[in-house]
Amino acid sequence: MTLNRLLTVALLALAPLAAAPAAAEGPATLTVTFTVTDAPTGQIMLSLYDNEAAHDRGGKPVAQAAVPVQQGQAVATSPGLAPGRYAIKAFHDIDGDGKMGMTPFGMPTEPFAFSNNAQAVGGPAPWSASNFAVDGPAAATSITIR
Amino acid sequence: MMLDRRELFSRALAAGLGASLPAEALAAGLAAAAQPQWALALGDVAADIAPRGLTRLHGRLPADLVGTLYRNGPALFRRGDTAVNHWFDGDGLVRAFACHDGGVQLQARFVDTPKRRIETAAGRIVQPGFATPARPGAQVGSADDTNAANTHVIAAGGRLLALWEAGSATAMDMATLATIGPVAFRPDLKGMPFLAHPKVEASGRIWNIGLSGKHAYVYRLSAGGALEAGQMIKLPAASYCHDFTMAARHLIIVLQPWLHEKASLPFSTGMVWRPEQGTRVLVIDKDDLTRQRLFELPALFFFHLGDGWEEADGTIHFDGAFDSSPLFAVEGAPALVEGRYPRSERPMLRLVSLHPDGRARLRDAGITAEFPRNPGGHDGPRPTFHVGGYQPGRPFARSIGRWDWQAGRGQAHDFGAHQIVEEFVPAGPWLIGTTINLKARATELHMMRADRLTDGPVASFRADVALPHSFHGSWLAA
Ligand SMILES: [Fe+2]
Repeated sequence: MTLNRLLTVALLALAPLAAAPAAAEGPATLTVTFTVTDAPTGQIMLSLYDNEAAHDRGGKPVAQAAVPVQQGQAVATSPGLAPGRYAIKAFHDIDGDGKMGMTPFGMPTEPFAFSNNAQAVGGPAPWSASNFAVDGPAAATSITIR
Repeated sequence: MMLDRRELFSRALAAGLGASLPAEALAAGLAAAAQPQWALALGDVAADIAPRGLTRLHGRLPADLVGTLYRNGPALFRRGDTAVNHWFDGDGLVRAFACHDGGVQLQARFVDTPKRRIETAAGRIVQPGFATPARPGAQVGSADDTNAANTHVIAAGGRLLALWEAGSATAMDMATLATIGPVAFRPDLKGMPFLAHPKVEASGRIWNIGLSGKHAYVYRLSAGGALEAGQMIKLPAASYCHDFTMAARHLIIVLQPWLHEKASLPFSTGMVWRPEQGTRVLVIDKDDLTRQRLFELPALFFFHLGDGWEEADGTIHFDGAFDSSPLFAVEGAPALVEGRYPRSERPMLRLVSLHPDGRARLRDAGITAEFPRNPGGHDGPRPTFHVGGYQPGRPFARSIGRWDWQAGRGQAHDFGAHQIVEEFVPAGPWLIGTTINLKARATELHMMRADRLTDGPVASFRADVALPHSFHGSWLAA
């Protein structure tokens, strides 16, 4: 029951995403490769954060995207990033309705994951566990959503 | 605090003495010296129990008692230098006692939950629970990652459902006890809380609730375990409910003043006892869940309620095992894991009567009782079978009783100070259930005539293993 409430908070941070192109200013490009395990269909919806405050306390992501899943994989590319630390929250929108599926108690029913494959512990993984370096034109990371 | 001490102790042991004696022998010797006999009830089962026959102690298996008694209860509390903080947080072990051809076969398997997989890989207790904190390495993506599946087991739709309360039912194969996986009654109900005490109508239809704060989700399932309807209702209080009850036409949710006030892990740290708020009883019309009535009682604490029945004038009666505060849940049950018994349990059998004029009345049987079970049907008063004989100095029950509210009297059989008596369930004219014999250090299975408990068991069988105290189970006639 406690978990329900804590994870509801997690969900709010994964609110429906509109494709929002990043401001193309910086010299770095990030490629994120997702591997999904539940179903080979649908899309990945992700939010990219560039600071701890926004990530951990429901602030604005620096970029958002929806990328299709093909043969169990999806690739998102975010150009124009300033070099620095970033973190990602993502979920597998299996039914492709553009929303995180929810139970009547507001709990996620579609699988979600965080960068570094950081674990959720009764809420979204914190920035301290999920942040990683984006430092050049070919930065890359991969996330498994199970 | 308890774990810190445990960890410090084992470190001290390793540093100071471990070099001169084999560590395992040392630990075993210390455990045997320090633990009371009853600690067998919270012992660890290392692995699944392969099928084996029980030894007949006396009597004969009744010819019409053919079927399987399934039981569930926590059976692994410690890993490496860690332990769970509460009796309710051990891994669920489902046991099957198959009765046929005059004999009994036992097999038992742990429910293969995400919690168990994560902790087996870690070699430590890491997942949070009812009162166990999350430790480094915890993975909690959903409530089901903390699901111990350790409270009850029922049969529905040709499979077993191992039940907990804050997450999904877990399906298991009836013959092999292999875990099939968590049950989503509908895709959007994945991972929803589902109490461990579903109520079954004479038709086989199953009702249950799942709770989150001041909301309850009401499940109506077919006899085969398929969802017929589900509906959310609002509750007047965010009470802890381990159980609810049902009469012919009503669902009854008893809202005790142990309130969930804070979102924190583990669960029990967010609970506050507010006796000044009293206990409220919400009565819900099964045909229209929005038709509700509220009754008021003094502050009561309970885990378990008996089945309800209704009189022609609309009066509703149900009984339960009521205590005066949650101290056993908060202090008593955690200490049991450490082999300590700082607080006596005094669950008392009491009858709640809800009158059409809005008054609620309490009546006392005057006996200690827990794990109430009724023979089924909600169209009139039924006897309540229960464990009892709670005494200071040792935890757990030692007798089986039967109470008849109409007659205002009961009968009981005392198994003795060397027996820990677990829940007995009705099986036609019989009662069947398990005990832990502390002298023989073995689990026993007993059959009794439901109308003549004072005769004692008509037959008793003994396993070659002592399984820890189970909570609840179901008899499934062959
Ligand atoms: Fe229970």
